[in-house]
Amino acid sequence: MTMIEAINLSKTFRVAKRRPGLLGGLRSIVDPEVRLVEAVRDLSLTVEPGEMIGLVGPNGAGKSTTIKMLTGILMPSAGKVRVAGFNPLHQRREMASHIGVVFGQRTQLWWDLPLIDSLRLLRHLYRVPEARHTANLKRLRELLELDEFIDTPVRQLSLGQRMRGDLTAALLHDPELLYLDEPTIGLDVVAKARIREFLLRINAERGTTILITTHDMDDVETLCPRLLIIDHGRKLYDGGLTEIRERFGGERVLLAVLDPAEVHALPHDASGQPHLADLPAGVHLAKSDGPRFWLSFGRNTMPAHELVAWLGARYQLKDVTFLEPEIEDVIRRIYEENLLLHELESIPQQA
Amino acid sequence: MLRFYVEVARTAYRRQLIYRWANLAGLCTNVFFCLILSSVLIALYQARPTVGSYNLRDILSYSWATQAMIMVVLPFGWIDLMLTIRTGEVVTDLSKPCDFFCYWCSRELGRAFYFLLFRGLPTYLIGLLIFHVELGAGWSVWPAFLLSLTLGTVTGVVFRILMNLAAFWIIEARSIVGFGLTTAHFFAGSYLPLVFFPPWLATLAAWLPFTGMMNGPAEVFLGKLSGPTLLREILLQLAWILALIVIVRLLTKIATRRVVVQGG
Amino acid sequence: MFQALARDICLYIRLIAMQVKAQLQYKVDLALDVLTSFLVTALEFATLLIYFVPFPTLLGWKVGEVALLGAVVSIGFGLAELFGGGIDNFEVIIRQGDFDRILLRPVTALMQVSTTQFRLRRFGRITQGLSAFGLALFFLRDAHLVWTPLKILVLCLGILSSALIFVSVLLLGATVCFWTVETTELTNILTYGGREMLSYPLTIYHQFMQRLFVFIVPLAFGTYIPVCYVLERALPFALPNWLAFSSPLIALLFALIALAFWRFGVHRYQSTGS
Repeated sequence: MTMIEAINLSKTFRVAKRRPGLLGGLRSIVDPEVRLVEAVRDLSLTVEPGEMIGLVGPNGAGKSTTIKMLTGILMPSAGKVRVAGFNPLHQRREMASHIGVVFGQRTQLWWDLPLIDSLRLLRHLYRVPEARHTANLKRLRELLELDEFIDTPVRQLSLGQRMRGDLTAALLHDPELLYLDEPTIGLDVVAKARIREFLLRINAERGTTILITTHDMDDVETLCPRLLIIDHGRKLYDGGLTEIRERFGGERVLLAVLDPAEVHALPHDASGQPHLADLPAGVHLAKSDGPRFWLSFGRNTMPAHELVAWLGARYQLKDVTFLEPEIEDVIRRIYEENLLLHELESIPQQA
Repeated sequence: MLRFYVEVARTAYRRQLIYRWANLAGLCTNVFFCLILSSVLIALYQARPTVGSYNLRDILSYSWATQAMIMVVLPFGWIDLMLTIRTGEVVTDLSKPCDFFCYWCSRELGRAFYFLLFRGLPTYLIGLLIFHVELGAGWSVWPAFLLSLTLGTVTGVVFRILMNLAAFWIIEARSIVGFGLTTAHFFAGSYLPLVFFPPWLATLAAWLPFTGMMNGPAEVFLGKLSGPTLLREILLQLAWILALIVIVRLLTKIATRRVVVQGG
Repeated sequence: MFQALARDICLYIRLIAMQVKAQLQYKVDLALDVLTSFLVTALEFATLLIYFVPFPTLLGWKVGEVALLGAVVSIGFGLAELFGGGIDNFEVIIRQGDFDRILLRPVTALMQVSTTQFRLRRFGRITQGLSAFGLALFFLRDAHLVWTPLKILVLCLGILSSALIFVSVLLLGATVCFWTVETTELTNILTYGGREMLSYPLTIYHQFMQRLFVFIVPLAFGTYIPVCYVLERALPFALPNWLAFSSPLIALLFALIALAFWRFGVHRYQSTGS
């Protein structure tokens, strides 16, 4: 059974101009000024059980709207969707027992109660049999190291601790599908690594399907073999990371560290930057910092080793490193240059 | 230094101006409860035409006047100072080069002025429109009234500051502040006219600082106090202001010395 | 179907119990809260009584009669505040964006909302209402009032009905939040204003208000009308006496209307995404 099946999901909002204040609030009810906003357009998606997917897109792209439609919070304007075999909108409560949701910004835990009380309460909310709940709780406590703060009121927890608490809360009822909305936001490096490790583990151990919305490219690189790029409400890309890098990676970068004395002897241009003369075609100096030079060259321009050889012949190379384009930069390029949208536009739409 | 406090008051006034719509909603609530009160008084007066020296029109004027003064003198649920104590902000406030009490006083007076213009006046004007309440018993009453109102407002401000200071010693002081304010309201005449009080309660009220807050100014406005009785009222208001200020300053000093700050 | 209802009730009790436990941890604070709540509501009641120092009657109603009315309103409203506190506070849930989380749980939204903000201190008002009731009986001792079982029944039904109607009014106010949160002060006028108004005999108000509280928002059926029955006074608009017993039915009807409106509100939230 497919975990998520969405066909041509669309959502158009009628946005009433919000007038501030009391009178404005009343007027908005009686005489709303409306414009149409297409938040999501013809989005189709198939997710098999056990997959780990990253959902990426600029702010306002339609990511949250999509997630809301998948979780039954929002009614689609058009299209069909089935999650875990349920219709999210009409079978919301039945489906709720099969999914877990974690919001990075808001907690689902009770603010004034100790963490353990929240977790116990959720057992009753989700009607989890006691034995299973106890077993799950034990395992999650172990994996996420909750014992040191499990008796502390949630409002006194640090962000990292609270996130671990929220993850536990979302997984106590053994959901088949887990949605994570910016789970590593605001966390320090160690906490982020820990969360990622945990997610990989439960995906491996329990086969939980995981869908992560994130802006953190490290999340994407570590966790998501499959990447979904959404922009302007449309699904622009649905596939692997490497392919994206290759197609849109643009240029590679070679970081060469030259001998400082030699750098001094180089001719400098008008702005005081050292000038490397006669660079091969397609290679240009992106930036320089003292003895370090960033040279960027197109993938198809020349093989990397040739460039190194060319440099070595002319200068004394102290160190040489190759930098892959950051997935961050790749995606930024895609957004800014609307690369995928252009592609979409040029391909005749198939029904 | 005086300039600084005037500026504090001005800023407080300006800050209130932003909440126009909330004020309008509050005005509706004020007026609504005034209407309920008026209905009760009209029904009561069918059984007896005068109480004390108050006939129906007097008593309606009194009620609308006191209700109009509520937000100026004793706004409900004022816990601003208490919150700074709870969050620990007060520590920085106490170490500022200005006088702690004067700062809070100026601030609240600025707000009070706002509420005078935008809550008090409209409320009373509506009462005027609906029930044709008194427009002050003659022109001569106004200077005395404004003086009494100012003194009443200051009393209210100092009292509220005093209540909030309790948060230095009691963590959840919200209920104490609430109860203190309710008692103040009761004895200031906002629940029901003080002239209805049985003698023993009236005597008790006379010994408390609250009558000067709203009842006094209202009586002056209606011309019920003049000459010696008026002078007595003003002096009483002044005396209570002084007494309360002394207590507030004393408590502030004790608190500053052993700042028990509950953070978080 | 009944199994589901039983489970819901169990869950409701559990969620309330959790909050009670949390509040009982701070016994001194709680005691202080309940005490101040009691004293504040007692002062309001005292106001009512003091009116009868200079005045013999309020439109023909004597002190004991008005006290009885005030007591009944206090108890009914106190119960509504106790159980409907979460609903009254719904504006905060919407403002903070927490309603999405409520929709993500396998439990009905209304149930979840109504279990938030359960505060033991609200017992202060209920206790005051009960004491006021005792006081009213004291004042009525000279009135030669005959207490029949029917009268007691009418009063009990009335109090429970008024609690349900008050909660329904709170629910209506909460539903408005799905459209705008700017008007909550106005809905407060209906709930707290309504309570204040019904603490006095309905007849002191304009005909329009009387009609409002009898035929549109039937709060009078839970308060004024049962008390009229007990005091052997005529019901408003010359309604027949036995109608006083219909309060539970009317309360239920009004509650269903409020519930339907709430469901409409939730549906609207889901189609516009707040």
